[in-house]
Amino acid sequence: MLLADFGTSYCKLLDTSSGEPPRLIPTREFDRSIQVDIATGHNGKRYAQQYVNELTALARGGLSLIQESSFTLLDCGSRDIKYVIYEDGKIKDMGWNAECGASMGFTIELLERYYTLDFTKLEVPKTSFSITCGVLGMSHIFDAVITGESEAEAVAKFVKGIAINAYNFAKRPQNLYLSGGLCDNPLFIGSFPCSVVSLGRFVLLEGLQPNAR
Amino acid sequence: MPAHRQLAGIVGVPPLAVMKELNNPAITIVDLDEPQGRIDLESASPFLPRVYCGILRTVIANSLSLKPDIIYIDTGPGKCDCAIHTATVLEDILPDTQIVRCKNQDSADFGVSLCRTRMDLVEKMSAITSAVQDVNPLREHTPCQATAGFWGVPPRDFSLLSLFPDTTHIYGWTRCMENKTPDNMSMESHYNPDIPTVFFAQSFCAKTALARHLAARHPHGLYLDCDVTAGNSAKAKIQAFLELSGV
Repeated sequence: MLLADFGTSYCKLLDTSSGEPPRLIPTREFDRSIQVDIATGHNGKRYAQQYVNELTALARGGLSLIQESSFTLLDCGSRDIKYVIYEDGKIKDMGWNAECGASMGFTIELLERYYTLDFTKLEVPKTSFSITCGVLGMSHIFDAVITGESEAEAVAKFVKGIAINAYNFAKRPQNLYLSGGLCDNPLFIGSFPCSVVSLGRFVLLEGLQPNAR
Repeated sequence: MPAHRQLAGIVGVPPLAVMKELNNPAITIVDLDEPQGRIDLESASPFLPRVYCGILRTVIANSLSLKPDIIYIDTGPGKCDCAIHTATVLEDILPDTQIVRCKNQDSADFGVSLCRTRMDLVEKMSAITSAVQDVNPLREHTPCQATAGFWGVPPRDFSLLSLFPDTTHIYGWTRCMENKTPDNMSMESHYNPDIPTVFFAQSFCAKTALARHLAARHPHGLYLDCDVTAGNSAKAKIQAFLELSGV
């Protein structure tokens, strides 16, 4: 059975019969003639026999991977951020921000390329910019660079601002489980004002597994 | 009474005494809170900020388009403070329309059997909003066992209601509306802690505070606000919440 999480920047595919780990394919390189069995993600309905809501997939992925009955799981993607909160094994709250918190992951990726930065080598700054969304937040970087701050410092403050915004959106948990592509970004993870456990990019794929059984 | 059929707009739930007066064959009543055909909401933007309650923006757009002869607008505690300012705007932009500010503090209970019956939630909500114009005692509907709850005002976009099961019970201001007691804080704050409940408010409405507060107190509640239309993320939240709650 072919499962897929169709993200804005990357598609994640898992063939459950192959025994192989999931594959990561840049969305722009994805063969659009392919049909999968079960999908999630904002492009998923176009390519799948069965579609699972992204929040449902995130929650089920979290339930499968996290061995606690109370947890907050935040998914930071290219285009949007979403979270689920479980309390004593029951869904307590959830949120999906596709407007005001939009394009955070995508903007971070663009900035890394534009300024040729390596996020594994940047230190977490002491302060941050106040960021509400990726696009609007960029003006802080331009202003800081004009006033003499280094590009790397300015981008690091931007990334920290995004992490704090995402943390607030997820209702400021003490411990946060994180999923999505930004799990590979140590600057982003280090910028949260709470402990963070990275679950990687494939949590939503994991959340499709119950539908495959 | 003019020779032509008079058009009377209502905003909120006017007092029963007013509705009795309006129940006259020479008068057509129009609920200005609800979208009336293809009226462009943007026509309200020169008069109300875009970042404002979607229902009151709808009131302005409807009023500009339909130009009622008279508008009864509840500006009391049974509606909201924003309605007071909307009434001022209406008085200014519709000089040929009589704007009547009223305060509905009726306390006679009409019953809430629609809120508790088994019925498609869109139909149920439509029946409740239509019943505002009916001054007669409402027909009693058989109650059903609730599997989910919807708390709040009738949304600007009813499509979000289609995601709920027909065994959803209605709470909040909509229940006060069916009961014809819109200023009933005790009824408005009531919820059933045993069923998963979505606490809904229109974005930019003062009731967002109460919706969030009650959702936090409810052992299994989800707060949700939407502006003019229910976007994919709002619908996904409802769908996931109900699915993950075993509804």
